[in-house]
Amino acid sequence: MSDWDYRPASDLDQGLSERLAGFPREPHLWMYVVRSIAALAIRLWLRLYHRMEIVGRDNLPLGQSFVLVANHQSHLDALMLTSGVPLRYLHRTFPAAAADYFFSSLPRSAFASVVINGLPFDRKTKGAESLAVCRQLLGNPGNVLIIFPEGTRSATGDLGRFRSGIGRLVEGTDTPVVPAYLAGAYEAFPKGALFPRPRKVILRIGEARSYGNLEAGRETVDHICADLAGAVRALG
Amino acid sequence: MSELVLGVFDPVFAAYAVFIGGLLIVAGLVLTVLGPIMKKDVSSIWRTYLGWLIMIPALLGALYLGRVATIIGVGLLSMRGFKEFARATGLYEDWWHVVAVYLGIAAVTATSLVADPNTGDAGWYGMFMASPAYIIAALMTIPIIRNETRGQLQRVSLSIVGFVYLGWMFGHLGFLANSEQFYGYLLYLLFAVQLNDIAAFTFGKLFGKHKLRSEISPNKTVEGSLGALATSMALPWLLHFSFPHFGTAELVLTGLIVGVGGQFGDLTISFIKRDVGVKDMGVLIPGHGGILDRVDSLIFVAPLFFHMVRWFHGV
Repeated sequence: MSDWDYRPASDLDQGLSERLAGFPREPHLWMYVVRSIAALAIRLWLRLYHRMEIVGRDNLPLGQSFVLVANHQSHLDALMLTSGVPLRYLHRTFPAAAADYFFSSLPRSAFASVVINGLPFDRKTKGAESLAVCRQLLGNPGNVLIIFPEGTRSATGDLGRFRSGIGRLVEGTDTPVVPAYLAGAYEAFPKGALFPRPRKVILRIGEARSYGNLEAGRETVDHICADLAGAVRALG
Repeated sequence: MSELVLGVFDPVFAAYAVFIGGLLIVAGLVLTVLGPIMKKDVSSIWRTYLGWLIMIPALLGALYLGRVATIIGVGLLSMRGFKEFARATGLYEDWWHVVAVYLGIAAVTATSLVADPNTGDAGWYGMFMASPAYIIAALMTIPIIRNETRGQLQRVSLSIVGFVYLGWMFGHLGFLANSEQFYGYLLYLLFAVQLNDIAAFTFGKLFGKHKLRSEISPNKTVEGSLGALATSMALPWLLHFSFPHFGTAELVLTGLIVGVGGQFGDLTISFIKRDVGVKDMGVLIPGHGGILDRVDSLIFVAPLFFHMVRWFHGV
């Protein structure tokens, strides 16, 4: 008789704050329950208070892993995009969240990991490592990665320059990238506002594209960024 | 029963509360004074001490609130213990089994809480004792419902160990709260298994030469184990006020159950951890590891003590 194959959880010897900020996260039943309840509440809030409208939901290539990119103006953005994905993909939808902001303290980490299911993205020093984590995530089927290629919320509401990360992530791969445009979020909840205003918001989802036929390189990365920025802007 | 609701009027509870509270204060003072004098780093001992400072009021508080709080408290500890076990073995990835065992533990807790429908006594003893048959039957149906075979025997087996050992056997501690003398029984057990641990450690440090179980827990020694047994055999007489109705036979058996069973319980969790390949079951309590690292002895002792008491005096 051969031995059983045990697989201890990787975070067994970690405290709560470490566990929340770590990635990939080990599953916790209570986390799934809280996230599901929170997601229902968020969807209800967006529908009722912001009268959210979703256009082009059929463009999501559900079932395979894909990247969802959008303009970034407001803290509502990630909530709107996750709400655009069907509820059964909730625990497999990961908005990349700035590690230096969303995982900087225990309450923020708790919110970012339990409610948002955020992927801690180090936009300062370990960008390459964070991209490797994203690649691993996309290597498994059925995962949704949400990225704001501008890297930060726009202070004016205008679309900023797309950083190279998204290009480096998908160059030479067949991973579908879905552009989306968030309209009204800036008016509803701009940077610096304390509480969202009851403005209407719209999520427009464009057609998926992929860049598997392009050779990896600096020019390709720039091309992908420009192409996606154009696609997002075209939806606006 | 009504005078038991307010534990502070119960002389046994009051005696233990004063005694344990006094120990905590003395230990805190000794640590404060000793650290600078000995010029040693006592920070890890402080962490352990702070862990006690959290656990003891929580335990005493639950007991003080009475049988319902105690039984629910034991149920919650069981669930937490099972979660640690499931995460250490990898069973946690399979939520069918995890949820089924959680429900099983909840059901056992419920049988301890409700009255026996036939006699009206607190706690449905018959159903409590029969619960493994029902829960194991339920766990066996999971692969059938899912129409799956791969790895199912391993998962069902781990679930059964998790439920029977960590839920049902440990659950005897909760059922004991239905007894008229539950303050004495529970406080004695909680105190005695800790003292048993401490005695094993102390005697081992002082006289330890021969390894007890080298493969399972290399730091334990035969000398420490015998010292702990001697301490645990003497303790029932010293704390006879906890169960004044006990005769010699019960006192001897209580000593044996804690002295031998406590050490087996400790080694049980140790061999599980060694086999699985983890150091601690978790990090819930600062300086103590997980719940299972703390209650390991009690899991083994609780059912043995329970059935001994029931044999002689009923529960």
